[in-house]
Amino acid sequence: MHEINKSTKKRLRFAILVVTLIVFFLGYRLVRVQVIEGAEYKRGAMQQWTKAINLKSDRGIIYDRKGRKLAVNVTSFTVWASPSDVDNPEEAAMRLQPILKVDSSEILESLRRDSPVVKLKQWITREEAEMVRELGIGGISIVDDNKRYYPFGNFASYILGFTDIDNNGLYGIERVYDQYLSGVPGIWVKATDRDNRQLPYGSERIHNPEDGTSVVLTIDEIIQGFAEEAAQEALEKNQAKSVSIIVMDPATGEVLAMANKPDYDPNNPRMALDEDLNNQWQSLPFEDQQQKWFEMWRNYAINDIYEPGSTFKIVTAAAALEEGSANLDSHYYCNGFIRDIPGVVLRCSSWYDPHQDQDFSTAFSNSCNVAFVNMARELGTEKMYEYIKAFGFGEVTGIDLLGEQRGIIPSGTESIREVNLATLSYGHGIAVTPIQMVNAISVIGSGGNLMTPHIVKGLADSDGNIVDLFEPEIRRQVISEATANELLDMLELTVLEGTGRRAYVPGYRIGGKTGTAQKIIDGRYVDGKYISSFGGLAPVDDPRLAVLVIVDEPKGIYYGGTVAGPPAASVIEKTLNYLEVPRKYTDEELEATKETVLVPDVRNISINRAGKELTDLELKYTTEYEDFNTDTLVLDQYPSPGVEVSKGSIIDLYLEDGRSNPVLTNEDNDTSN
Amino acid sequence: MAKQKKKKKPVDFLIFISVVTLVFIGIIMVYSASWPEGMVRFEDGSHYARRHIQWAVVGLLGMVLTMNIDYRFWKRISLPIYITAIVLGLLIFTPLGMELKGARRWIDLGFTTFMPSDAIKLGSIVFFAAFLDNKKERIRRIGQGAIPAFILIGVSAGLVYLQRDLSTTATVAGTLFAMFFVAGMWLPVLGVIIAGVGIFARYAIFSEGNEYRQRRVFSFMDPFADKLGDGWQIVQSLYAMGSGGLLGVGLGQSRQKFFYIPEAYNDFIFSIIGEELGLVGSMFVLLLYAMIIWRGYTVALHAKDAFGCYLATGITSLLAIQSFINIAVVTSSMPVTGITLPLISYGGTSLVIYLAGMGILLNISRVSTGDRRKTDENNS
Repeated sequence: MHEINKSTKKRLRFAILVVTLIVFFLGYRLVRVQVIEGAEYKRGAMQQWTKAINLKSDRGIIYDRKGRKLAVNVTSFTVWASPSDVDNPEEAAMRLQPILKVDSSEILESLRRDSPVVKLKQWITREEAEMVRELGIGGISIVDDNKRYYPFGNFASYILGFTDIDNNGLYGIERVYDQYLSGVPGIWVKATDRDNRQLPYGSERIHNPEDGTSVVLTIDEIIQGFAEEAAQEALEKNQAKSVSIIVMDPATGEVLAMANKPDYDPNNPRMALDEDLNNQWQSLPFEDQQQKWFEMWRNYAINDIYEPGSTFKIVTAAAALEEGSANLDSHYYCNGFIRDIPGVVLRCSSWYDPHQDQDFSTAFSNSCNVAFVNMARELGTEKMYEYIKAFGFGEVTGIDLLGEQRGIIPSGTESIREVNLATLSYGHGIAVTPIQMVNAISVIGSGGNLMTPHIVKGLADSDGNIVDLFEPEIRRQVISEATANELLDMLELTVLEGTGRRAYVPGYRIGGKTGTAQKIIDGRYVDGKYISSFGGLAPVDDPRLAVLVIVDEPKGIYYGGTVAGPPAASVIEKTLNYLEVPRKYTDEELEATKETVLVPDVRNISINRAGKELTDLELKYTTEYEDFNTDTLVLDQYPSPGVEVSKGSIIDLYLEDGRSNPVLTNEDNDTSN
Repeated sequence: MAKQKKKKKPVDFLIFISVVTLVFIGIIMVYSASWPEGMVRFEDGSHYARRHIQWAVVGLLGMVLTMNIDYRFWKRISLPIYITAIVLGLLIFTPLGMELKGARRWIDLGFTTFMPSDAIKLGSIVFFAAFLDNKKERIRRIGQGAIPAFILIGVSAGLVYLQRDLSTTATVAGTLFAMFFVAGMWLPVLGVIIAGVGIFARYAIFSEGNEYRQRRVFSFMDPFADKLGDGWQIVQSLYAMGSGGLLGVGLGQSRQKFFYIPEAYNDFIFSIIGEELGLVGSMFVLLLYAMIIWRGYTVALHAKDAFGCYLATGITSLLAIQSFINIAVVTSSMPVTGITLPLISYGGTSLVIYLAGMGILLNISRVSTGDRRKTDENNS
C-alpha cells in the first residue's frame, strides 16, 4: 500500500475548486432560468397549456308574422385536422377524398400546412360524418356545427338575406339584425396536456354562449307567396328584366310582402337559379363573378330608383286638394298639349283624342297630363316641392333593410323651372325607390299619415313569442283624412273607369294608379325601355293593403295598367281573400256579370275607331300611353272576336309597332304632326 | 491507528444523509413525474413509482452491504469485475440485447432489463483505481503511465460509445481522466487530451450519420428557433423551470409532466423538481449533490491509501460529472444530451449501481482519516 502523495492532494483540492465553480455556475443558471427569465417561460408554458375553445351560440330564428319559420339552424358537421397528428398524410388524403369529394391534392396540401388545426371541409352530411369517423384516422376530427337553412329556398330572399360560412349575417335581415340574431359566442378556456386531454387541475373557465334573439318579420309568408307568384308570372309573361311587388299595411307601415324576381336561393347565394346563367358565370374571372353576385343580391325594391310616371300624380292631386288650390269642383280643359312653355311642347297621353273638359276626379282617372300641369301651376312651385318632400321623396324611408336609396328630387325650389314643375306634376324628372312610392301611396290609405315602413315586427324568444314589439311609427301627417278619402274615391274611379281597369277585381273596391315611364340610363331616356307600374290601395272604404307592382323593361306592351295591373289585382284579390275581407258586389257588378256581349273584330282598323267600337259595346280596352297616333292599326286583340264576355270586360289591343315619341325630348316630332 | 480498533469508525454522515435524502426525493419525484404516463399507459399512476421503490430498496440494501465491505476487497477482484463489465457491455450485441427507442443499450435478463453501461462505469472505476495504485509513481511516465491509461480509458469509453451513448461515453471518459489527473498525470498530457477530445467531438458531432447531434448542438444555442422540433425538449424544460419560479407550483402540481416533457421521470426529472418545488427545491437538490461531491473528494483526500483515494475520486467524479451534465442540460447551459440524474431519475440499474458506489465511498470514509478537525494536521 502506498501513501497519497502531495501532488494528488493538491490536485484533489483543485478538483474541489473546479466543482465549487461549477456549482456556483449551475446555481446561477437556476436563478436565471427560474426567477430572472422565469416569468417569460411561464407565459410560454401557459400559452401551450391553455386551449380556448369557441362555443358557438345558436343563431336566432327568423319568423314571419304568424310564427312560420323562414330561417332556421340545422346541425351540420365540419371536418377538422390537426396536421401534426396525422401520421401518413398521403394515405389520409386518399381515404378522405371519396367521402369529402375534395381533390386529394387539396386535402394533402391542408394536411401539410404548418398550423395546429385546419378546416378540411365545412358542412358535410350526417352520413358523410359517420363515414369519416369510421375511417378512424388519427388527427382528423368531426365537429358538430350549426348551419343556416332557409326552408323555403328562393323565397323572400331579398328580405332574409343570408349569412357567411361562419354564420355572420351578410345581407338582408340577417345583416341588419345580425347583432340580435348572432348572440354572444361563448368561450371555454381549459388547460390540457400535450395530447389535448384536459389536465386534472388548473384553471378552467367557461363563458356560456348566449343564443341569438329571434326576429319576427312583418312579412306574412302567405301574402309573400302571392306576391312572389304574381311577380314570377309577370316576369315570364312580359319577359321583363325584373319585377318587384311590395305589399304594405298602410295603417302601420308594416311590409306584408316584398318580392323581387328574378331572385336567388339564400341557401346557395353564390349560384344563380338559372342553370345556363350559372354555367356562364363559372367561366368568368373571380372579380366579374363577384360583380354578378352583387348585382343578383341587390334588393331592387329599396336599392334601385326609377322614374315613377303617372303614379306620382297622386302626390300632385293630394297637394292641390290639401292646399285648396283645387277642389273636386275644379275643371280642367285638355286640348292634348301644353304649348306655353318656351321651347317645349308637352303632350297629354290622349293627345289624339283630347279629354277636353273634365272635372278633378275625371282628370285624375283619365290621368290627363294637361290637367295635372295646370294643377301644379295653380299649386305653385313652393307647395309642390313641399309636398314632394312631405311624402317622403328624396329621403330614406327608414325601412330596416340595408342600402336604401334616397332617390333624386330637385335640390330646391330655385332649381325647379317652369318645365320642371310641369313634368314633375305627372312624375317625370324625379327618381324614387319602390319603397318610397308604396309608402307615399300608403299615406292615402292611412288617413294622411306618412309611416316609417318596417319589416321587423319585433324580437322574440326561441319559441317565437315576441318579447320586444316594435311599435308602428308615424313620421308625420302629410294630408288631412278628408283629402285622403277624396283621393281614395278618385283612385277607385281610376280602376273602375280610368287607366287602372286591369286591376279591377269584382267584389273588392280597389283604388289605384298606373304609371309608365321611359327608363333613364346614365341620365338619358332610353328608347324602347320602360318601367311600368301600378300602385293601389284596397279596399278603398277601409284600406288594408297598399300594393306597388313594378315591371322593369317589359317586352311588347308596356302600359302600366296592362303590365302591372293584373299582378296587382291578383295579389290584392288573393290577399283580401286570405285576410277574410268579404266581397261586396255592387248592383252594377251583379248586373254586369249577367249581361254579355260578343267581342267585335277590331283588328286592322285604327285605334281611334277600335276604341269607339268597344266603348259602344260597354267594353273596356287598354290604351294608355302616347306612343301611337290616331291611325295606328290594331294588329291583334284578346279575347278573340266572337268570344262571349261580360260587359265591362277588358280587351287587350296589340298595336302596330309604333315609333317612339319621347315625352320631353323630341319637340320636332310633336310639332310636325 | 483506526484500523486496529475493533469498533468500526462511522461512515461520513453528510454523504450518507445526502444520498438517502436524494433517493427519497427521487422516489417522490418519480412518483409525481411518472403519474400521467402511468395513468395513460397502465391506468396506474404509481406504476413507475412502485418499481422505483423496489429498486431503491435493493439499492439501499446494496449500499449498506458495500458500506460494510472493506474497499480493499474490490482491488483484489478488480480484474474479474472489469472483465465482467466488458462482457456485459458486449452482451448487448447478442440476442440478449434490447433495442429501445432506437438505441441498443439494454440487456434483457428475463425478469428485468439491465443497462450494462452503468456496470461499465463502476467496473471501470474500480479497475482503473487498481491500475493507478499499481503504477504508483510510474504513472507520470508516458510509456508506462499515460499510454496504458489511455488504452484502458479507450476500452471503457469505446464500449459505451458502441452503444451510441455519447453522453455516457463522455461521463466515463471524464471520470477516468479525473482519476488519472488526480493520480498524477504528467500535465502536458492534458494538452493531448484536450486535442483528443476536440478531434473526437468533431468526429462525433459533425460526421455523417450523426446529424442529430449537430442539430442538438445548434438547438441549444437558440432552442426557441425550432421549438416544435429539435428545440422541443429544452424549451419544455425551460417552461417547466420558469413555471416553478421561486417556490414552485406545489408538489404533484406540475403541468409540464403531462407529456410536454417526454418521460418526465427520466432525463428531465430535474425540470419537474424545478417546476413543482421551485428554485428552493432545485437549489436544495443541487446543494445535496455539491455536498456529496465535496465530502467525496474530502474522503479521497483523507483516504487511508492511494487505492481508496483513487476509488473515492472516481466514484465522486462520476456522480459529479453526470449530475452536473444533467442539470446543465435542463437549464439550457449546454447542448441537450440524454443522461439521467444520478440517484433520482427512474431506472433500476443506475440507481442500484450508484448506491453501491456510494456504499463503497462510505466504506472508504470509515477508514479514511476523515474527521478533518483532528486529522488534517496530523497526517500532513
